[in-house]
Amino acid sequence: MKKFFNSIQILCAGIGGRGVLLASTLLMDSAIRKDVYAIGSDEYGMSQRGGSVVSLVKVGKVKSPFIGKGNADIILGFEESEFLRNLSYLKIGGIAVVNSPKETYESKVKEALNKRKISVYTLDADGIAREGGLYQASNMAILGFFSSLNIEPFTYENLKGAILERLKGKMVEKNLLVFERGFELGREIVQCMNL
Amino acid sequence: MYELMIGNYAIARGLVEAGVQIAAAYPGTPSSEILPGILEFSKRDNIKIYCEWSVNERVAFEVAFGAAMYGKNAACMMKQVGLNVAFPSFLESIEKELSGGLVVVSCDDPGPQSSQTEQDTRMLCSLIGVTVFDPSSPREAADVAYYALRLSRKIKKPVVIRPTHRVSHSREKVQIFDQGKRKVKLSEGLVNKGKTTNFGVVSSGMSFCLAMDVLQELGLKEKIPVFKVLRANPLDEKAFEFVTQIEKILVLEETDAVVEAKLGFNGKVYGRLNGFLPGAGELTYDIVRNAIIEMCRLVNIEVPFKDDTKFEEVAKEIGVASRPPKLCSGCPHRACFYAMKQAYPDALFPGDIGCYTLGIPLGAVDAFIDMGGSVNMASGFYDAFSKEGKSVAILASVGDSTFFHACLPAIYDAAKKNKKFILIIMDNNTTAMTGMQPTPQSGITASGEKTRSVTLEATLSALGIPNVKVVDPYEIPFLIQQIKDSYSALPKNKGPSVIISRRECVLQTKAKWEKNIPLEQYCTGCRKCIRNFNCPSLEFDELKKRVRINWDLCVRCGNCLFVCPEVSKSERKIES
Repeated sequence: MKKFFNSIQILCAGIGGRGVLLASTLLMDSAIRKDVYAIGSDEYGMSQRGGSVVSLVKVGKVKSPFIGKGNADIILGFEESEFLRNLSYLKIGGIAVVNSPKETYESKVKEALNKRKISVYTLDADGIAREGGLYQASNMAILGFFSSLNIEPFTYENLKGAILERLKGKMVEKNLLVFERGFELGREIVQCMNL
Repeated sequence: MYELMIGNYAIARGLVEAGVQIAAAYPGTPSSEILPGILEFSKRDNIKIYCEWSVNERVAFEVAFGAAMYGKNAACMMKQVGLNVAFPSFLESIEKELSGGLVVVSCDDPGPQSSQTEQDTRMLCSLIGVTVFDPSSPREAADVAYYALRLSRKIKKPVVIRPTHRVSHSREKVQIFDQGKRKVKLSEGLVNKGKTTNFGVVSSGMSFCLAMDVLQELGLKEKIPVFKVLRANPLDEKAFEFVTQIEKILVLEETDAVVEAKLGFNGKVYGRLNGFLPGAGELTYDIVRNAIIEMCRLVNIEVPFKDDTKFEEVAKEIGVASRPPKLCSGCPHRACFYAMKQAYPDALFPGDIGCYTLGIPLGAVDAFIDMGGSVNMASGFYDAFSKEGKSVAILASVGDSTFFHACLPAIYDAAKKNKKFILIIMDNNTTAMTGMQPTPQSGITASGEKTRSVTLEATLSALGIPNVKVVDPYEIPFLIQQIKDSYSALPKNKGPSVIISRRECVLQTKAKWEKNIPLEQYCTGCRKCIRNFNCPSLEFDELKKRVRINWDLCVRCGNCLFVCPEVSKSERKIES
């Protein structure tokens, strides 16, 4: 396993009631599987009724689950507008994986992202989940895609293992299918970029 | 053995390991998961623990207090404003000597994220002289819970744990022990020794972890000393000693300035009281980082941090419309609010605390204050207007759980004193906002067993409410007519008219229908449905200038068809 730098900070941005909490838990699970310290913070209550929610996950040498502006290594945008809302938390050179059917952004956004050397990967996670027969599983498509970036400890094997451990019954299969599709799509795109 | 769990489960774990025997709670974010945690651990470890969802916080407290007086290990759980409901007995309880143990967990909500107001439980405990702990993480919360129950037995007084929502809802790996075997590690005092004597930090609760992360980022961990407070009342003498040794002190705590006020030392202590930090709200990473940098500047400590305000401006410019919470697709409350607004658009709408506070954007809640406030405010409004000889429609709304929690004396009083208003009880047979806890009517216990149901009808009848009607809110035209009829009946009525708007929570039943929803075919782009109905499934296509239904979210209840002025009457069918 690659040696850790101090910490990895992930901000999961989405809408209440659509699986952000499960995704952040699985991220933590996959860190714990590798004996890496993890702490996370979720939002409950009123915001769960379809409002903006943010789940924070930090792994490595950290104490609190809080993330400062310009400090997040990664943003997982479970909803495009929620990614944009939280953009200022992403560090220079940060990575974003965003659920969005479109491939490019308006020039204003593009310029900001380029200036900060931010790599944005977009995927139609809703579409992938719908094809997989489980609309609510767009979070799994994002996680699958993210796992293709192979950032320890959030690797494909680790996240898949975490899903198998945490989910039960019929849901595992469908969720895993969407996760795999996200992973495959990610692998293709990452390969294309490397060529 | 370790397990990943939220702070509320960690507290539950600590209490179970310490031998809690009786636990009572009323649900309220951010405290709602503690009692389910106790239930889960008691099942898993095969330990008999009596658990109940009480009808309100005062009942929960007094049940736990009674058990503790008799010698049992008891605990009660609530949110910060819930402690106000239990306050009369809580205040009195500190004068009594317990023969058992009593832990009160009161979860604070800095922000507030899911409350009508912020409130600091540590402040209340400091005022009346109760021991209160402010854990900084789920791990510590488990240890604190274990320790607190033992301490309570020893000192024969109630002991309070005050986690903030960031502790209650943070996740972390927590160590599991057998009952009575927990190795407790409590950390208080000078936990980070720094070289400088110019500037030090005193921090309590989650703010401590935050401060340590910020110091790590800024490379100041070796330089700046940090004093960690765990017991906010009584405050450790060492905290005062620490402050006397350091030139300038920054106090980081949530929500109010409790430790800061106790430390005193005008001029050298910086925090919320002297305006250095915001006087209210959550301490975010950025607030703490800026405060520490600013303090360093004051005492000439160099900080290599560059503020990236330029990018923040760019990010702000991108400007995304805010996304406030909404009632769910198919929520019976939405149909009910729509009917209320249609029946009397200019009525007064006193509302209450629950999911249905989201009646505000629908224009059918225009005043709310606390649990049960709807009924009393309606009475007050009636008095105020009738004194001036004015007649005005007053449509109060409250949920079923909140009605049982706080409205029984209120509605009894309103009936006895002949107050004329309409009360709509939105009965979805559960406590939806906080995670589907049972109500007195739902007829199940905290552990899911069947029990006696106390119905709203029987309760209202016993309280002498003459005019009670039960309507399915999905039958929107019928409900509108009923509201009008109930209003017309008021002059002859003795007291208020009550309508029970009854349909189960869609989130709980996961109800979906097969109905055809031809809304899009009729759409002329008037947006009336979006404005007046505010359903998350209704989206406006800016290119086509037409409403589009998000079929992934839509449960096909068909209520929006009643809202669209173009849809023909024959399309508006009700299926139950």
